Amino acid sequence: MLKLKNIKASVEDKDILKGLNLEIKPGEIHAIMGPNGAGKSTLSSVIAGKEKFSVDAGEIEFEGEVINDLAPEERAHKGIFMSFQHPIEIPGVTTTNFVKAAVNAKRVAEGKEELTPGEMLRLIKEKSALLELDRKFLSRSLNEGFSGGEKKRNEIFQMAMLEPKLAILDETDSGLDIDALRIVANGVNMLRSPERSAIVITHYQRLLDYIVPDFVHVLYDGRIVKTGGKELALELEEKGYDWIKEEIDNK
Amino acid sequence: MSLEEKIISTFKQKNSKLAEVFNQAFELFEQKGFPTKKNEDWKYTSLKKLLKTDYSLVTEINNNIEAKDVEPFFIGADTYKVVLVDGFYNADLSHVDTDKITISSMQDAIENNAELVEKHFAKVADNNQEMVALNTISFNDGVFVNIPNNVILDKPIEVINIATGVLGDTLIQPRNLIVVGKNADAKLIERHQNISENTILTNSVTEISVGENAYYYHYKIQNDTEVSNLVDNTFVDQNRYSNAYVDTFAFGGNVTRNNLSFLLNGENAVANLDGISLLNKNQHVDNFTFVDHRVPNCDSNELYKGIYDDKSKGVFTGKVMIRKDAQNTKGDQQNNNILLSENAQINAKPQMEIYADDVKAAHGCTIGQLDDDALFFMRQRCIPLKEAKAMLMYAFASEALKNVKVEELKTQINKQIAQKLGVNIEFGV
Amino acid sequence: MAKNEEDKLINDVTNKEYEHGFVTDIESDTFPKGLDENVIRGISAKKEEPEWMLEWRLDAFKVWQTMEEPDWAHVKYKKPNFQDISYYSAPKQKPELESLDEVDPELLDTFKRLGISLDEQKRMSGVAVAVDVVMDSVSVKTTFQDTLAKKGIIFMSISDAIKEHPEMVKKYLGTVVPVKDNFYSALNSAVFTDGSFCYIPKGVNCPMELSTYFRINEEGTGQFERTLLIADEGARVSYLEGCTAPQRDENQLHAAVVELIAMDEADIKYSTVQNWYPGDKNGLGGVFNFVTKRAVAEKNAKISWTQVETGSAVTWKYPSTILKGDGAVGEFYSIAVTNNYQQADTGTKMIHLGNNTKSTIISKGISAGHSENSYRGLVSISPNAKNARNFSQCDSLLMGNTCGAHTFPYIEARNPTSHIEHEATTSKISEDQIFYCNQRGIDTEKAVALIVNGFGKEVLNKLPMEFAVEAQKLLEISLEGSVG
Repeated sequence: MLKLKNIKASVEDKDILKGLNLEIKPGEIHAIMGPNGAGKSTLSSVIAGKEKFSVDAGEIEFEGEVINDLAPEERAHKGIFMSFQHPIEIPGVTTTNFVKAAVNAKRVAEGKEELTPGEMLRLIKEKSALLELDRKFLSRSLNEGFSGGEKKRNEIFQMAMLEPKLAILDETDSGLDIDALRIVANGVNMLRSPERSAIVITHYQRLLDYIVPDFVHVLYDGRIVKTGGKELALELEEKGYDWIKEEIDNK
Repeated sequence: MSLEEKIISTFKQKNSKLAEVFNQAFELFEQKGFPTKKNEDWKYTSLKKLLKTDYSLVTEINNNIEAKDVEPFFIGADTYKVVLVDGFYNADLSHVDTDKITISSMQDAIENNAELVEKHFAKVADNNQEMVALNTISFNDGVFVNIPNNVILDKPIEVINIATGVLGDTLIQPRNLIVVGKNADAKLIERHQNISENTILTNSVTEISVGENAYYYHYKIQNDTEVSNLVDNTFVDQNRYSNAYVDTFAFGGNVTRNNLSFLLNGENAVANLDGISLLNKNQHVDNFTFVDHRVPNCDSNELYKGIYDDKSKGVFTGKVMIRKDAQNTKGDQQNNNILLSENAQINAKPQMEIYADDVKAAHGCTIGQLDDDALFFMRQRCIPLKEAKAMLMYAFASEALKNVKVEELKTQINKQIAQKLGVNIEFGV
Repeated sequence: MAKNEEDKLINDVTNKEYEHGFVTDIESDTFPKGLDENVIRGISAKKEEPEWMLEWRLDAFKVWQTMEEPDWAHVKYKKPNFQDISYYSAPKQKPELESLDEVDPELLDTFKRLGISLDEQKRMSGVAVAVDVVMDSVSVKTTFQDTLAKKGIIFMSISDAIKEHPEMVKKYLGTVVPVKDNFYSALNSAVFTDGSFCYIPKGVNCPMELSTYFRINEEGTGQFERTLLIADEGARVSYLEGCTAPQRDENQLHAAVVELIAMDEADIKYSTVQNWYPGDKNGLGGVFNFVTKRAVAEKNAKISWTQVETGSAVTWKYPSTILKGDGAVGEFYSIAVTNNYQQADTGTKMIHLGNNTKSTIISKGISAGHSENSYRGLVSISPNAKNARNFSQCDSLLMGNTCGAHTFPYIEARNPTSHIEHEATTSKISEDQIFYCNQRGIDTEKAVALIVNGFGKEVLNKLPMEFAVEAQKLLEISLEGSVG
């Protein structure tokens, strides 16, 4: 589904990703872990097409198509969803109206009819119920005055509405209490299917108890330096990253 | 003959109790003429170009306007409807089916409501200002509204000013007086609309007296055509415990100058000024606001948002005066602006003159751009760039809609914003 | 604060007398009052100036005669009679001194009382300050000239510079503040009698603070000094100026012009402690301080203005920076204290012309007595200045309700990539603050001092060490023992 081939990326002339390779097949969940500053958030931004990050070399291939030159919304229309570490507040635009605009924009890009208000309402009801999202949130300005947990649930709600092929969860678990974490994880698991994949970026093994990954990658100094199964996450949690750093630096 | 000479030559001495006011205004205008950029208050807005047009002065009522010509400009709600045509009150097109309040033509009020008119006419308006003096000496008519004590008005009043352009390029000068009684509560929506292709210059003066403990909301919808120019002079006199709101939404028109003054004459009064300017092409909007804290314990809150695209120009002056006796004043003012184009510009003068020590006064002014992170966020959620920008602009501006208490009006404003931004998005919370 | 306590405090504050109001008893050589071409020729002759300088002055005089005194500032005063001022006054013993021992002891004493004894300064190690003293209109002594000369730094009176470095003076004089910039700059250009000239060569980091002290001494004289400071590419300098005047019943006129030029990568820090005689507590006398200060910053250059303004009856002053080169930085840090009947209309202009230029404005106004204190500033972003940034903060503190505090910012943006933030607040010292201090054992007067100091901290911190102490002292004087 997604192939990253020798990606080199920089921000403001600072090299962050230094030749990163990653392949994700349909249905797989990949966890990405690594010390601060390794390039984890850059990776998600690069896949989603944030313009501040420049991809200096390598190809991003999504479903067989090179998407390096596509705008963020074009990538989103193709089914790439990124859950933000710090979701943006938009005063004056309700969550409902925002989601309507998003869903319809995607449908139009796919050549489908826009949903009627009735259909949209039904969809919103259904998805918000799954996430135990209070209806009141939907009529409030997007993320404005939301708590950290509410914002993250709102992200997962939007993901449910857009039904992406590839979801990138960028530290979605940071700062969440265990109940919020469980709700978020349930939301992600409900979307699991043989066609859908996810990249889970996290600092904590805890999330991986709820969203069980097929692979765990360690990102260090702009490259994936180690790959393993979910047991690798446990090992990292226990031993930290120093042993990996040593292993790499000694090579 | 220049416009100035034309006006001066047509001035007739009037034999009413108001004669003195008229004569004083005449003297001032004869002496000063139109304001120029040398006048500090007009530093950023020049009338020079506008005054090159040879405007006709309206002298008689035009009865050729029909209800269907006016209908599209109402907000589509149950309201009391007032229509002024070229500055004259049109009784046929106006629908005020209530005896709880008085709504009439200004001329009628001068005759039949002499006491109230004499009490308020030219009392709040500053006749030392050239444009006010001009209106005082040459207005034909306008609307007079009297909300008696204790009347809680059941629906808003809509005042539509139609410019017909039948005389070609025209100078129109409505003169309005709104008296809100003690404990009363009223809302008024004012709109100017040119229905011709001709150039219109409107120089409007509205005096508003808000009685003790009354609530008054005044919404100005400025969404006129590209050949329409407006100098709006609005003066609000507030008595104690009164709350007054004036919202100015400038989306359309060519050159617009809003002189908005609040005179806080009674303790514990609260003045609220909000505004959104959303401009493109060659539009020019100058919001010149003045809040005069004359007595203790009053609050003023001011929030103006501006978005400027293409070659448009925005001006904001926020003058807050806190006089010596106005202890325990709270004054807050915010002016936030976004420039979208290399040729757009904004000039801001948020200023405070403070003579009392026990006050909390602050102002803030920002000029910036749309947030790139927010744009990326929205594009990541499938929303195309144009729509994403529109949403951010709406988000930026919408805070200034907080005092719009008429649902249908809010809906209309939201639609006008979407239209102006060229997107099909349903805005609003 | 209890009402009577507050009144007492305000009363104390407003009754404090000016401490620098002594007259130096030195014989001086003073022109008769009046201004015409002959006076200008006289000044030029006295100073043995070359012909081109005289021509420059006469041209300026012609321009000045066509101009009108500005009246847009928020100040009221009786306009000076320009024919009732003497335009030249020099201590008679204009000394060609080699060492401080030769300085008139009376003069040295004056400096001691000002807290800037040259004697002591010279003995100080590490924080040496080179001082140029302008007494009435003439530069008396420049210290440390030799030390500076070794680095190629020129620091001398402008009169000497006109003679010794005419090519440089000719090239730069009037380029930052043109003669016809305003009424007072034109007047100054015609009649300036002395001032300082400073040139820091390429890449040189000036090893000590440079300092000029200005003092008006003689009765009925005006002081029109001219400062020209050039920091060549990559040079760095910190420059201080201080001003005092004796108590006089009539108003004295001070109309200076300061021009700073920071070439590519240069860095100029210009600090002023202005303590001209403010007039007495009834508003009688005091200096009219009408000053034009402006700097040009070329590529990646930095100009930092810091001012502590406590003196003068009327102040009209806007140290400004033209951010001409890409990446130039302008800063303005100001504390202005007004008391009794003082009036100050002061602030800055930041003119952004280059890309990525950045400016910061921090202005703190403290008003007491019957004074009027206004901030007036302009932030202008030209259409070509991409990514310009400005942050402005203007705070006012009012003590008593017979004074006024005003802010008149002008913001003009012509480029969509600019980012401007302006904030202003006005407040008084709250009873809660005082009570909190009282409760912790701090008496009310000390508490006020603490609060005022805290209020001005952001600016005081920007002053060079040696000056910070003096600035604090001035705040004390201006607001009576209420500042600790």
